[in-house]
Amino acid sequence: MTETYLAQPDLEFIARVRGLGGDTLKKCYQCATCSVACPIAPENSPFPRKEMIAASWGLKDRLIKSADIWLCHNCGDCTDLCPRGAAPGDVLAAVRSAAITEYAQPKALAKAVNDPKKLPWLLGIPAIWIAILAYITMAHEDVMTKLFNVFGIAWSHAHDGAEHVIAQADFFSTWFVDLTFVPLAGAVVIIFALTLKRFLTDIHENAVMEGKTDKKNLDYKALLQAMGRVIPRILKHEKFNECETNKERATPHMMVLFSFIGLAIVTGIFFIVLYVFQTPGPYSQLNPVKWLANIAGVALVIGAGLMIKSRLDDKEQVTTYKDWYILGIVFSVGLTGMLTEMARLAHLEWTSYGFYYLHLIAIFNLFAFLPYSKMAHLVYRTTAMAYAEYANRK
Amino acid sequence: MDKKYGVYICTGCGIGDTLDMEDLVGVPEEEGVNCTTHPFLCSKEGVALIQKDVDEEKVNAMVIGACSRRVNFDVFRFDNCIVERVNLREGVVWPHSRETYPALTEEQKEDEEHFDRIQMKAQDYIKMGMIRVEKVKLPAPYKTESFSKKILVLGGGVTGMAAALDAAKTGYDVTIVEKTAALGGYAAKLRNQMPVSAPFETLQTPVADSMIQEIQGYPNIDVRTSCEVARIAGQPGEFTVTFKKPGERIPFDVPFPLPEEMLVDENGKELDPEAAHAKFLEYNEGRKDILNLDPEGELYGAVILAAGWRPADMSKENYDHLGLDLPDVVTNHEFEMIAAKGKIVRPSDGKEAKNVVFIQSPGKDDDDADFGYAGSVTSQVALKQARYVTEDYADGKAYVIYQHMRTPGLQEYFYKSMQQEDGVFMTKGAVTGVESQGDGLAVTAVNTLLGENLALKADMVVLAGGMVPATKDDPVVNLAYRQGPGFRDNDIFGQYADSNYICFPYETQRTGIYAAGAIRRAMTIEESIEDAAGAALKAIQCIESANRGMSVHPRSGDMTFPEFFFQRCTQCKRCTVECPFGALDDDAKGTPKVNPTRCRRCGTCMGACPERIISFADYTIDSIGSQVKAIGVPSEDDFDEPPLRFLALICENDAFPALDMVGLNRIDYSPDVRFIPVRCLGSVNTIWIKDALAQGMDGVILIGCKHGDDYQCHFVKGSELAEVRVKKIGDALASLALEEERVAFVEVAIDEYDKLPKIINDFVEEVDALGPNPFKGF
Repeated sequence: MTETYLAQPDLEFIARVRGLGGDTLKKCYQCATCSVACPIAPENSPFPRKEMIAASWGLKDRLIKSADIWLCHNCGDCTDLCPRGAAPGDVLAAVRSAAITEYAQPKALAKAVNDPKKLPWLLGIPAIWIAILAYITMAHEDVMTKLFNVFGIAWSHAHDGAEHVIAQADFFSTWFVDLTFVPLAGAVVIIFALTLKRFLTDIHENAVMEGKTDKKNLDYKALLQAMGRVIPRILKHEKFNECETNKERATPHMMVLFSFIGLAIVTGIFFIVLYVFQTPGPYSQLNPVKWLANIAGVALVIGAGLMIKSRLDDKEQVTTYKDWYILGIVFSVGLTGMLTEMARLAHLEWTSYGFYYLHLIAIFNLFAFLPYSKMAHLVYRTTAMAYAEYANRK
Repeated sequence: MDKKYGVYICTGCGIGDTLDMEDLVGVPEEEGVNCTTHPFLCSKEGVALIQKDVDEEKVNAMVIGACSRRVNFDVFRFDNCIVERVNLREGVVWPHSRETYPALTEEQKEDEEHFDRIQMKAQDYIKMGMIRVEKVKLPAPYKTESFSKKILVLGGGVTGMAAALDAAKTGYDVTIVEKTAALGGYAAKLRNQMPVSAPFETLQTPVADSMIQEIQGYPNIDVRTSCEVARIAGQPGEFTVTFKKPGERIPFDVPFPLPEEMLVDENGKELDPEAAHAKFLEYNEGRKDILNLDPEGELYGAVILAAGWRPADMSKENYDHLGLDLPDVVTNHEFEMIAAKGKIVRPSDGKEAKNVVFIQSPGKDDDDADFGYAGSVTSQVALKQARYVTEDYADGKAYVIYQHMRTPGLQEYFYKSMQQEDGVFMTKGAVTGVESQGDGLAVTAVNTLLGENLALKADMVVLAGGMVPATKDDPVVNLAYRQGPGFRDNDIFGQYADSNYICFPYETQRTGIYAAGAIRRAMTIEESIEDAAGAALKAIQCIESANRGMSVHPRSGDMTFPEFFFQRCTQCKRCTVECPFGALDDDAKGTPKVNPTRCRRCGTCMGACPERIISFADYTIDSIGSQVKAIGVPSEDDFDEPPLRFLALICENDAFPALDMVGLNRIDYSPDVRFIPVRCLGSVNTIWIKDALAQGMDGVILIGCKHGDDYQCHFVKGSELAEVRVKKIGDALASLALEEERVAFVEVAIDEYDKLPKIINDFVEEVDALGPNPFKGF
């Protein structure tokens, strides 16, 4: 006999899921067509039927602590076939969104990221911050040089003296870039690390309770090994490609993912080039790293563009603010990045700086709000898939 | 009636091609009866041909050899004439073809070796038709001495009120009898009723009040509250009804039959009839016999039984695990009464009940049955009452634990809308316990959608008590009938008022009494109102048929009725006892009193009577017996190897149409069987079987409807009684040194025509194996 479960429906949670695009959560009549239709659900207690029941009962704890909600790739096959007009795919998307908010710390920030009314703040704060730093870069080079000299570090990474070269560092110091984003990235990593510990404990507990794992204790080493096995499959979009209804989304998603990876590699290399070899940008277009950067940038714009287009075309699919927010940010990062470069190559100095300014705001949003936006799926889904691999969830 | 005979044979539809018409025409002519053939008898010209003979008074008793009597019955109708339809088409030429049974050559006709089995069948059928018109009479309608067109409605709830309004609107005088002090019934006590119109999402104000108002506008509706029926005596068209105050004891209270335990003496032996009668009189001391008509009684034409239901008393059941003794565990009825008063509050302390668990089935053991008398209505009530919880409290939570959630028809929309409510939670599951916990209640369930073991916290628990029909322990109608005051077979309907609600809704086993509403099965208010209209129409049909001396159902329009030759009655009471409709009442001596308007004309009494003194104008022991005797039984004197001959007595309600379908589909079966349609197998008198065998026929088969609890018999008991009688005939056969197997009884449903040929052929083969009847040729 399994343990007795005291069900305590949470009306507030039901209302929240409805608001996040899961308004069909109560339409389910448990025929299980969804679980049968789902191309990626495991055979043992498959989703999304049980999630639909839990959602209609408002059982928050059961849902947000379940790794299964992350195994779902929102193929939409279940939604397509539901005889009752429920949309399990959208309900699970809404639940995931609620789960991100639930795990995120600090809560206020999480709420702000999902609140369209707070968008001016999310954009405004980095805009002001970057404006200030740009002003310092341009107006107080001498002060900064002196200041850095105190520590024995050269302030300027700019191509001095070469008039014909437009360098972003002349507008916004590379020091400021890294002093802003490196600590930001660090903070995000710490936040995720703390969250993930809770998340893993929860999903394991839930899996044990629902009989979805053959493991009793959580073995982190084995989990990491599982992660190693899972990541290549994620890169190949193996699961995503099993989808029927939303299959065409896999390609843009792959483009975006790979372009981020490409851009991360580029950023890493140029970081080393700058700080270790003391060679500041801009770098030659003939440089192979630059090729990668350009290809990745174009892929990002196209991938994100396709995603936006498919969302606009698909009237059936629920698209909420959180979806538009993240798509907007990703698309902006790519677009402003490319425009910055193009303007620079066209010798439009101030146009280039303008795009760069926007680019920095977009990147700030992408980075700083990663744990709170839909982008957090990057971490949660990967972790959940690794856990499923580890837990022998088939 | 001075009969003038005529035979008309149609040669169309293949009859003329298959049969030797010259020979067939010779059959009546041999008897001196004029026979006319026509290639298209059902055409205008064909009918005019007959009509001319009728008009010229040449013919008033005719045999029409053409298609089955189930078709063209409106074409071959001639007023004041006896018409016998001989089924040459569906019965002879369609199932049996010349490919299978080639016509004889001239030489073959002369020898003693060959015979034409199709022609023989046609000849026999013409002969059988001719003898029948000779033996039967034109019916004269039966008229009651007095007649009332008033309709009596038992029960003043929604069903009764709706029935009364429907009948009153068509101009009939109606009396509503209501036991309690006011009209309205249960519907008047509700907070709300289920949705009745699109989109089926909002609860409705109960209709009871507006119906009470409406009734006041009809002067032809007489409402009697605090009143009940002491007895209903007589028959449709002239029911004599005695009213009384509830609980009162009056001489015209209907006598009750002795309960079974009183029919035996101290030693457990069955009482002899006289002792039993004495005990019966003692048991009903102070009550007048059923045949004593109340001089103060009021006359009614028909009765609508709308006595409804009462909430089940759960305390008597073994539901200890559900915490029935806890104050906050209530039935759906109690919950409704709380809701009707205002916001949902707990009975124990008057605190707001925001968490309410609705339990739809007892859940114990492996049994997934719901509570007794629960069904789709209780499912819908649970949804409705769940709505009360979310209506009263924005943060209210209503849980429904069910084994079955039944929301038939458009109520599915209501279910959907309830599902949509944030505060409504439903799961299938078996409830294992309800216990008091802290300030509230704890409910546990297993096998739920949420997992093996589920626990819920509740302020209140509501059990889905069923709707117990008033007929469960009360005859209600209190009929002064010899067979007893209530319906006989309520036990096979779970004590709901007997009514064959699939084939003949509203129809009970008592003609003129029509059941409607929750007394037939659990119904919603909406369904009850619709049901009431049906019952009202049936009551009107009954009155208008009885008024013209016609049978109501299922032989609608039949003007015959049982006639008794009382000089030979031995007062054996078999007719009174066996009549499925309680149409006969016997007096103290046991002489049956006929109540023709109660009668459905099935002839079960005719089949039962050992003295064969019961007959109908056009259906008698003699008319069928003579048809049997008209069948030619070839013997060795005629042919070297004579064909076997069989008699089939076939129920005309289902089996006979099935046989027509066999013909229609051109499926062959043994042409040596002669079929005689009977009103019901219950009307088959065993003398016909004995006569058939005595004249050398090789076997007799009775083909009728399914009987038992899920009977299809149009006359409820007919085929069952026939089977019993056939079994008893076995001894008589043995004494004649005849094998029991020569008489068979089979049940056929109307859609089983494809099985009939095999049934017939198997029987023929089985008898063939026994060899010919030794009485052949005597």
